[in-house]
This record gives sequence, C-alpha cells and structure tokens, in this order.
Amino acid sequence: MSSREEVYTRHGGKGGDRGKILTEMMNAEGKAEVLDDILVLDVSCANFAGIICASFLAEFGAEVIKIEPPEGDAARQITPFGVTVQGVGIPFMFEGRNKRYMTLDIKNSDEDRKTFAALAKKAAVVIESFAPGEMDGWGIGYRQLSQVNPGLIYIALSAYGQYTDKAREAARAPDTDITSQAGSGLPAQMGAPAEDREPFSWPLRGGMWVGWYISGLSAALGGTVALLHRQNTGEGQMVDVAGMDAYSSMVGMPATIGFTWEKARPRIGVLDFILYPYGHWKCKDGFVAIAAPRDHDFRALLKILGLWEQEDDWRYSSDRIPDILEQALHLHRIIEEKTLQFTADELVRMALNYSRKSARSKWRGGGVPIVMKLMTPEEAMTNKQWHIRKAFQEVEDEKLGKYTISANFVKMSESPPRVKWVASEIGKDNDYIRKKYLSD
Amino acid sequence: MEDYFSYTAKLFNLDDASQKPEALKGIRVMDFSHVIFGPVAARLLADYGAEVIKLELPFYGDLWRPATYWGKYWKHSNPIWHNITKNKYFLSVNLALRQSKELIYKMAETSDVVIENFAPGTADAWQIGYEKISKINPNIIFLSCSTYGQFGPMRYFPGWDLLAQGASGVLTLNGYPDTDVFYKLPDYVGDFVPGNFAALAVLMALYYRKKTGKGQYIDMAQTEGLMRTLFHYTYYSITGEAIGRTGNTDPTMMPASIFKAADGKYLALACATAGQFKKFASAIGRQELASDPRFADTIERLKPENAKTLTEIVTEWVKSKPGVEIVRLADEAGFPAAEVADDFTIANDEWRRKRGSVVLFKDDVYGNLVIAGPSAQLSGTPSRTKWLARPLGYHNRVVLKKFLGLSENEIKDLEKKKVIGTFDDRPGLKPPVYYNLDEDPIYNYGKEVSS
Repeated sequence: MSSREEVYTRHGGKGGDRGKILTEMMNAEGKAEVLDDILVLDVSCANFAGIICASFLAEFGAEVIKIEPPEGDAARQITPFGVTVQGVGIPFMFEGRNKRYMTLDIKNSDEDRKTFAALAKKAAVVIESFAPGEMDGWGIGYRQLSQVNPGLIYIALSAYGQYTDKAREAARAPDTDITSQAGSGLPAQMGAPAEDREPFSWPLRGGMWVGWYISGLSAALGGTVALLHRQNTGEGQMVDVAGMDAYSSMVGMPATIGFTWEKARPRIGVLDFILYPYGHWKCKDGFVAIAAPRDHDFRALLKILGLWEQEDDWRYSSDRIPDILEQALHLHRIIEEKTLQFTADELVRMALNYSRKSARSKWRGGGVPIVMKLMTPEEAMTNKQWHIRKAFQEVEDEKLGKYTISANFVKMSESPPRVKWVASEIGKDNDYIRKKYLSD
Repeated sequence: MEDYFSYTAKLFNLDDASQKPEALKGIRVMDFSHVIFGPVAARLLADYGAEVIKLELPFYGDLWRPATYWGKYWKHSNPIWHNITKNKYFLSVNLALRQSKELIYKMAETSDVVIENFAPGTADAWQIGYEKISKINPNIIFLSCSTYGQFGPMRYFPGWDLLAQGASGVLTLNGYPDTDVFYKLPDYVGDFVPGNFAALAVLMALYYRKKTGKGQYIDMAQTEGLMRTLFHYTYYSITGEAIGRTGNTDPTMMPASIFKAADGKYLALACATAGQFKKFASAIGRQELASDPRFADTIERLKPENAKTLTEIVTEWVKSKPGVEIVRLADEAGFPAAEVADDFTIANDEWRRKRGSVVLFKDDVYGNLVIAGPSAQLSGTPSRTKWLARPLGYHNRVVLKKFLGLSENEIKDLEKKKVIGTFDDRPGLKPPVYYNLDEDPIYNYGKEVSS
C-alpha cells in the first residue's frame, strides 16, 4: 500500500483490514468478470436505451455484439449539435464499451435474419427496439426464438410496451429521450412557476438523457433478475421496457401523489416540495449548492451566515416548506443576501468548520449544513476525488483516437465492472463472430 | 399464427403475476439504510422476492418517514414512503446497544446481503461494517452506499441527492442558456437512479456468488452513478467545449423540444433519424423539408443554425393544432411525440393501469393506494407489490420469533431494555388512527389475537 493510498482509504477507529480491502478495490484489473460466459446480441436501432443496457452487461464481462445494418445504426448520428468524429457521434463513442460490431440487414434480408436466429440460439440475451411485433412478424421475435432457445432473455424496448391495446394502437411510435421524459412525467415537475414569463414557465426538459438512461438501466436490472432466474432454473423470459414508464416508475411520486392529492403538483421553480434549504444560491464568485433541511442543520446554517435573528420565524421544517410559495421565496432571498457576501470556497469552509466542531462536541445534534461549490461536468472532471477513484478513464479507439469517458459506476471487491476497450467501427468483428459462433 | 398482441397479452397477463415464481426467493437482506438511496436498492430486491428486513431506530425511525410533499399526509402515513419501502419487514432495534448487535450478528449468519448508507466508516465504527459481518458470514454481499464513495479525499463528506447532482455536473445542465437559474432534477432522481445502479451491482454479485461461492464488498457512490449517465465529459474531451444548458431543446436530435400546442397543452416532439424526419415532414404537409439540403441529412439538421430555423418551423406548426391531434398524427405516421404528462394524468391513465406501470393496490392496513409499477415488466418472474410500508417496529415479532427463534419472554425483556421498540405518536411512524393494531395477527405474531 502506497502512502497515498493509505491516506485516502484510512478511517477512524482501530484500523483493521478496512483500509486494505478498500485499497484493493481501487483497481479492477485482473479480477473476475461476472458475465464472462454470456453472449448478448444488441439489435436495437436508433435507441440509446438499448445501447446503454448492452453497455452495462458488457462492463460486467458479457460478450456483447452490436448488430447493425451495413450503413450503421442511426444512433451513430444522434449527437449534440451534429458533432462527430469520422461520422461517429459522441454518445455512441461514449457507450462503445467492450463491444463487438457486426453487420446484418435484419430489416430487409431473409438470409441475415437466419444468421441472426442462428446467433440467438447461442445467446443468453437479445436486446431490440423495433416496433412491437415487428421482429415477431419477421419470424425472429421472442415467440420463435424461445422455442429453439428456452433459456433466452429477450429485452424489448419501445414507447408504450409490448402488450395492452394502447401498445397495439401506438406500436409505430418510436421511443426517444425527450418523448420518454415528457410522457413519463419529468418536465411537469421542472421549470419556473406558472406566474413567470414564457417560455420559462413551460415544463422543462431534464438537460441530460434522463429518459433513455432510466430505460437502459431498468432494462439491465430486469435483464439481470432474469439472468439469476435462468441461472437457477434454465428458464428464459421476456423483459418489456416502455419509455413512457421511465421516470414515473423510477421515482414513483407522480402516480401516488396524483391519486392521494387528486391533482397535479404545480411547478415551483428552484424550490423543493419537501426539503428547505435544499437548492443553490448565488455567491460572490458563482453558485453554491446548500442542503440544510433538518431543523438542526438549518439552525447551523443560520449561525454560519449570521442570520440567527431569523430563527424564531423559521424554526420548524413545516415553516419552511414552500406550500406558500411567496413565503419560501422570501426566505430564499434572505439567505441569498448573505451568500452573496462570500465566495464559494469561503462558504464551503465555513460549513465544514462548523460540522467538524459540532461532530466533536459533547453536545450532539449541532447539525450538518452541507455547502458545496456547484460544478459543471467539465469542472467535475478536475476534482481530485474522481482522480483518486479512477472515475474518469482516458480510452483510445483504434480509428477515432483518444477521448475521456466516465467509466465504472460502482466499485466491487471481487467482480467489478470495467471498460477494457472502446470501439465503434461498423462490421469490425464480422469475421471473428462468424468464425466463433457460426462455423458449425 | 396468433396475433402478436394477443400472444403478449397472455405472456404478461397481470392476473397471473402473483402465481409466477420469484427470482430472488430465499435471498435474505439486512437493510440498515435510510432516506431514499439505500432503501430503494433494498426495495428493488424485495420487489423480486427477496426477504428484506429493514432496521430502524425505535421511536424515531427512518428520517424520511415523515418527509412528505408539502407536509401532506395520507392516513397518517407519508404517501410517497410507501413506494420507497414496500414489501419489507420493519424491525426496530437500537443499533447502539450491545444486545442489538448480538441480534444483528445472529441474523448475519443466515443473511445473503447487507445494505447500509451511513457516512463512510460509521458502520465499521459501530462494529456492523463489512469487516465484522464478513467474519461472521464470509459469503456475505455487503453494499455500502454514499455520496462520494468509501475512499478518496472527500470520503467523509455527507451528501444528499442534491449534492450528487451538484458534484457530477447534472444540476448545471438544466435550464435556459444565458440565464442565472438552474433547476435540479426533481423528485430525488439523484437517489433513485443510483439506487437502481446499486441494486444492479448486488444482482451481479449474487450471480457471481452462485458461480463461485464468493461474497464481496460493494462501494456505490451516488455521484459516480450520475456521472455514468453523462456523455458531456466525452464531448468536452473531444471538442474542448461544454454542451451547457440548452433549455427545452435536446441538442442530440432535431427537431427535439417541448412545444406549446393550440389548446395550450405542452408536448414533446422529436425526430431522431432521417426516416422519422421524412415521416414528420409529410405528416405536416411540408415534404420539401425532407429534401432541403439543410435538413435532409441528420448531421446537417443538427447544426445550430439549421436547428434554429427548423425549431421555429416546428414551433409554428405545433401552435396551429391541438395536442391530442398532434400525438395521434405522430403515432399514425411513426415519428415520436408525447404530451407532457403530470401527476394526475399518470395516476389516472387507463393504459398505465392495464399495463401495470401504475397499480391500484389493496393493502391490509391502509386500503387502496395507487403506486407506481416497475420500470421493466418481466414475463416470467415479475416484480410485484405484496404490502405497503408499515408502522415503525410492525414486524418486530415476526422477525424475532419466526426468523431468529426468540420466545415471547425474551422479546418482552428486549422491549423493557429498549433494545427494540415501536412507534412514537407521530404521523409517518404510527398506524392510521382507525386501525386497531391489537387485532393485527402480524403485529402480534405468536400471541393470542382477539379477532
């Protein structure tokens, strides 16, 4: 263990093996891969939920074959402002992890459909995003493939799912991130209050692929539950993910609140429905995020900012929740007047010093007001924490050169996920795949 | 051949779901976690059949129990808490006491998974961390959830969903360019998404354990979970520029924005591919757009100057028609469009109920409540709801008698010493006032009940 590793893994108390366990988790190389005996076919098209789901399985060691038509998956051109590297879009490069690339024209060629069926016979997982029923119509849907391969897990992604009358009526509706966000209830909760001027008062889109990442993650989670069942019983099954479910099924609040309150929540801008202070404020040199929602956290924040005279008016969390918007915004401005007098670093240091003292005090319950500097993704990349944790990885594509990705989402002591290579060349592994899986 | 949708209707028939096998049956989980991030990971395992025992401090309980939107309770419970912690066994023990630890150590012998989200190092300091538990049960899968991870210079920093959004860069991506207002993603997405990542990691560890017999330690940092979903880092490393905020327009497709229709309804409309754009152009009677050199090619269409022109054209068109008609047109033609759904429509849409993505659940204690269904429907081993959240300490007797073999006298002794306990008279912790716990056979498990 280097001295540096010791510093960053050390914890209070008597020591023991914890530091050693954590130090070993800093690297994934040489460790076992969970899914090293699993073949996954990703035949999704123009749908990143499928590509993302396939990435997660690939990071855990599965052999993932991305199957696309000879001209390439249209997802290659789904990219911010049209920026590509040699025709490959940024999100496609970002998700091009540990994958093999094969060309098959499933949409048009009977011959290629047969090849796909032959591969699916050996696969554990198939991922597809054609219109519901389309693969079935071609004779290579779950119904047909599972007869030859009863252990097959068939993950289908669409806008409205694979069953119900609605799914039948809207079968032709493609799934995209923004329609998934809208249809599953996220923008309804984001944006300025109705009194604000347009378009700020409109429902606001989440500025990242919330819909597609939730669908992809849900597909991988459902698929892995199915893999466990397959491991125990040998049985496969179908996993149906609908983009219109994504947000509401993930967080659960829209359905329950719509029922118990019998109406929809309004948009309340930068405020939160449950916690206050819980948001961001302007400071001298930028913005800080502040979370001090519990009563003792809030009192601590008042002390730090020199606002103790406010304590009487806002003593309980029920005084601070924004069901009377004007009242909450009033407090918001009182806090802002103070945060504007300090820089982000000063505010962070003030909160840390307070928390440290309160944790050491024999008078417990001093509160933990959390203040941090608001970071853009670009600033986050320079944070030492992520450097130590190897959260970002510089990768090199044979054709496209070097670039940076945020790598693994979790650290595991025995079988961690990892990015072994990135690639995105169309048909790059045609020969390898035919030799390995189709030569008999 | 049978019609596809008749076939799938049988395959996914909701009426059969409760008879189908459970993928995680026989897996026992000790859930020390609180608030949302950890509890959601544990709940996902419970939804697929694992036996999850949630531990809470007597008379206080989980911090999130009383935390409801705008302080609105439902039958003296927090309505959104039901979705976060359903299907669990609620055991209330004081982790600080020696005797509680003995109970935990005994339970650890037969557990498969432990989940905690205290500040890093706390569980170990209390002698209930991985180091201690793995000595009792070497095959244990131990999940530690935190905001910044178990190691690294920021490991001691406390956090909430907001801080993970702030530290990953997510928060600064929401809003309009050239303004000084950012919006956080609502409803604690920064807890739910990492909670799902954490559950995925546990499932992978279970799969690995079945193959090799080995347990492991899992370090899930919620900020890293959010960071995994941003290709913005890659964009920056290649172009040297930031994507930044783009308001209501998704810069990766064109058109792709939220628009306002003639009837004041808001809707999202997008074309991800050249094919979809062609269908859109003919659906609005502007076929010439699909052959216009500025718009025909996807990459050309995405270039900021062309995107601006096209967004203006689409904005004008959407303004001319009611929302419902646009979505119907889109579904027929095959380009993506969806009205912005709010809480009320999601709770009441008929198709969501039929699909099972929104469920009217009848609970023994609370009666009818609408809750969200799973975000992935499985035909063979579906996720299901068996019961909602319960008052604090509701399952004390079931867990201690049935799972640990304690006698009524031993339990009474633990109660007297305040090792275990139940609820205080506060909403979120206590049962509905009309509900008579004395007659509840589960709460009084192993005792005579006068019903």
